[in-house]
Amino acid sequence: MSTIAETTHRRLTHRRMRIDGWRWGGRIFLVFMLLYTALPMIWMLITSIKSGFAAMQFPPQWWPDQPTLDSYQKLLDPQNSVGQDFLRFFWNSLFVSTATTILSVIVAVPAAYAFSRFTFPGRNFLFFAVLLRNMFPAVIFLVPLFILMRAVGLVNTHGSLVLTYLTFGLPLAIWLLKGFYDNIPVQLEQAARIDGATRFQAFLLIVMPLSAPGIIATAIYSFIGAWNEYIYAYTFLSKNEQLTLPVGIQRFFSENTTDFPGLMAASFMMSVPVVVLFLVLQRYFVRALTEGAVKH
Amino acid sequence: MTRISLGRAVLRGTVSTALMVSLMSASALAAPVDLSKWSPEYVRSIAGTQDFDTAGDCGKVTPLDYKGRLTFWYQGVFEGDPDLLRQYYKEFFETFRKTYPNIQLEEQALTYNDLLDKFRTALLGNAAPMAVRLQILGGTEFAAKGYLEPLKPEDVGYSTEDFWPGAMKAVTWEGTTYGIPTNNETMAFIWNADIFKRAGLDPDKAPATWDDVVKYSKQIHDKLGVAGYGLVARKNAGNTPYRFMPQLWAYGGGVFDEATANPTYKEVQLDSPQSKAALQASYDMYVRDKSVPVSALTNQQADNQPLFLAGQLGMMISHPSDYNVMLDLQKKTTGSDKDKAQTVIDNMRYGLIPTGPDGKRAVVFGGSNIHILKPEYVEGGKVDEPAAKAIICMWTSPEWSLKMAYAGSNPGNLNGFKTKWMKERLDSIKFLDVTTSMLPYGIPFPALPQSPEIMNIIIPDMLQNALTGAMSVDQAADDAANKVKALMDGGL
Repeated sequence: MSTIAETTHRRLTHRRMRIDGWRWGGRIFLVFMLLYTALPMIWMLITSIKSGFAAMQFPPQWWPDQPTLDSYQKLLDPQNSVGQDFLRFFWNSLFVSTATTILSVIVAVPAAYAFSRFTFPGRNFLFFAVLLRNMFPAVIFLVPLFILMRAVGLVNTHGSLVLTYLTFGLPLAIWLLKGFYDNIPVQLEQAARIDGATRFQAFLLIVMPLSAPGIIATAIYSFIGAWNEYIYAYTFLSKNEQLTLPVGIQRFFSENTTDFPGLMAASFMMSVPVVVLFLVLQRYFVRALTEGAVKH
Repeated sequence: MTRISLGRAVLRGTVSTALMVSLMSASALAAPVDLSKWSPEYVRSIAGTQDFDTAGDCGKVTPLDYKGRLTFWYQGVFEGDPDLLRQYYKEFFETFRKTYPNIQLEEQALTYNDLLDKFRTALLGNAAPMAVRLQILGGTEFAAKGYLEPLKPEDVGYSTEDFWPGAMKAVTWEGTTYGIPTNNETMAFIWNADIFKRAGLDPDKAPATWDDVVKYSKQIHDKLGVAGYGLVARKNAGNTPYRFMPQLWAYGGGVFDEATANPTYKEVQLDSPQSKAALQASYDMYVRDKSVPVSALTNQQADNQPLFLAGQLGMMISHPSDYNVMLDLQKKTTGSDKDKAQTVIDNMRYGLIPTGPDGKRAVVFGGSNIHILKPEYVEGGKVDEPAAKAIICMWTSPEWSLKMAYAGSNPGNLNGFKTKWMKERLDSIKFLDVTTSMLPYGIPFPALPQSPEIMNIIIPDMLQNALTGAMSVDQAADDAANKVKALMDGGL
């Protein structure tokens, strides 16, 4: 017959083992999920360094017998027509996405602040109304927006894309930022006002720095939305020199064939700015996402 | 070798006989190329017999010093296309700019599956280009809606007889011609000789009938575990009707009576026993035998090609350009992959598309046509007609209609067959004679405004309904027939 101490020890050991088991299970699950989510990227990279023929082999070559950087060379060579196009599309995308991001932040910051701090007639209605645009599929607005852009002479300009992207980027940006401002104690602003700051100064010097993670998260969100958008870019732009990357990448598909390594190399290059942006700013993004979890 | 020669001889004999019969009633007997004699040998005999002065001919339509501006959209050739074809497209636009230095050309290449939708949206916003080159399926829709200016070969210095009668049908709506064919494509049946051999089939003999295709597909799948036939059933992709309609027509079916000499498009025949037999063949391959790629419901031809090149697919329908694509891939490959690619090339075989149970052979008479828009639908409300005619004259000339179709198709202008480039092409592009031989079996899609909806939506829907088991073969065919009837009555 075992003593109480032995029984307790056995129970504790058993419990520890169970906890360790769960921990290991969790780790294995995380590794599996990591592989699951990273595999498309890894496969994209591997395919991009294959020759066109090797990319079509079955069973697939997990690592190419003759890796080649031909596809990247072609894309980055400004002397080559593919490279010229790709670099131009890249800069066009960068311009459109950056412009969308900047405008989105400039408009969303005061709008969200106003919704958070001021009471005015119809505030709640307006706050919900800004989201209406995002409740319908983008394709519904395609023809009306095209006709509208045509009427104001914006078809075949990047301005048409920036304005359109704002229509679906802004509502979420306003909602995101409003939640953020709600969590910044209004007393901080009041203290600043007592110290002699104007409302604008209090906003600029107190609220803005505290809401930086939210603003950055909003900016990342706007940038990614604009960077990846295809259908409006495809419809609104008809000049080769204006096309953006998602439209340009379609050129690796032909009627009966696809240049898979070229497509994968271009896709990889396209994902680089977003990944870099996210890596650099991820701590702000994570803070923005978790900020609302604990009430100040 | 003997087998190949024998096969070729049979092919030539079959083609010549079929041509004689099918073309005797054609109105094109007075054409500059004698269609009644059409055969691979005849094509070879006329190739390289005539020189053409493209700039001189087009200068008579639009003076070479004409000053103007033109916006132009077309289905472009891109990275996956054979290098040869991309080079010719580049040269065409360079030559046009040199020939007409005072025409400011703004051309836009669009991808195959997106061109029609983008064009439709642009039309709704009155922002279309002045001229457009559309796949054959699109022209009638836009002509019937009143978007296109009447345009016939005579308007750009050619004769209607310079073009295939079947191709001219596709640009004619209610007696008026609205465009000019730039190229005419007919595909061929392609198989992998090595797969045939390993599956116990004759490596140098194509399946004679569609019933054989079903049988061969099963045999290949059962013996080797790879897909037999490259079925394509993706919705809203031009590749689907281009591969299913030859099967439907061969079994004696049709959407209407488009496979007859003088179609009226009055009676819907998608629910006929013959049409159902064709659908049953696809069902047998996909559902019963599971001998086609399981991804056929989302595949288009661009997905079949890698399977074929990887030795995972025994048979498919496609262009001679597939052979050129393979040559390009091999050229850009190194090491052991080069030898593997060579093996694929050595095993590629082209033959006539199989017949139905009654010996009917059919292929879609495809290609593209070029059109001029009415000013009210064009950005700026103005169409520079002389500038549009200049590019149309050049593209549809014997020289450029041949060069722009070099690797995968046939020239729209029949005189293209007489150029030195045709001779060069016959010598350098293997299997070209097979697809050229399919031309007389070509059946144009019904020249109706509803055709894009029928071919790109209703036909693939019918296939998907049957292949997914959502409906039986009979129900799917009846449902499709009803949808076509409703569409023709102004519904849907």
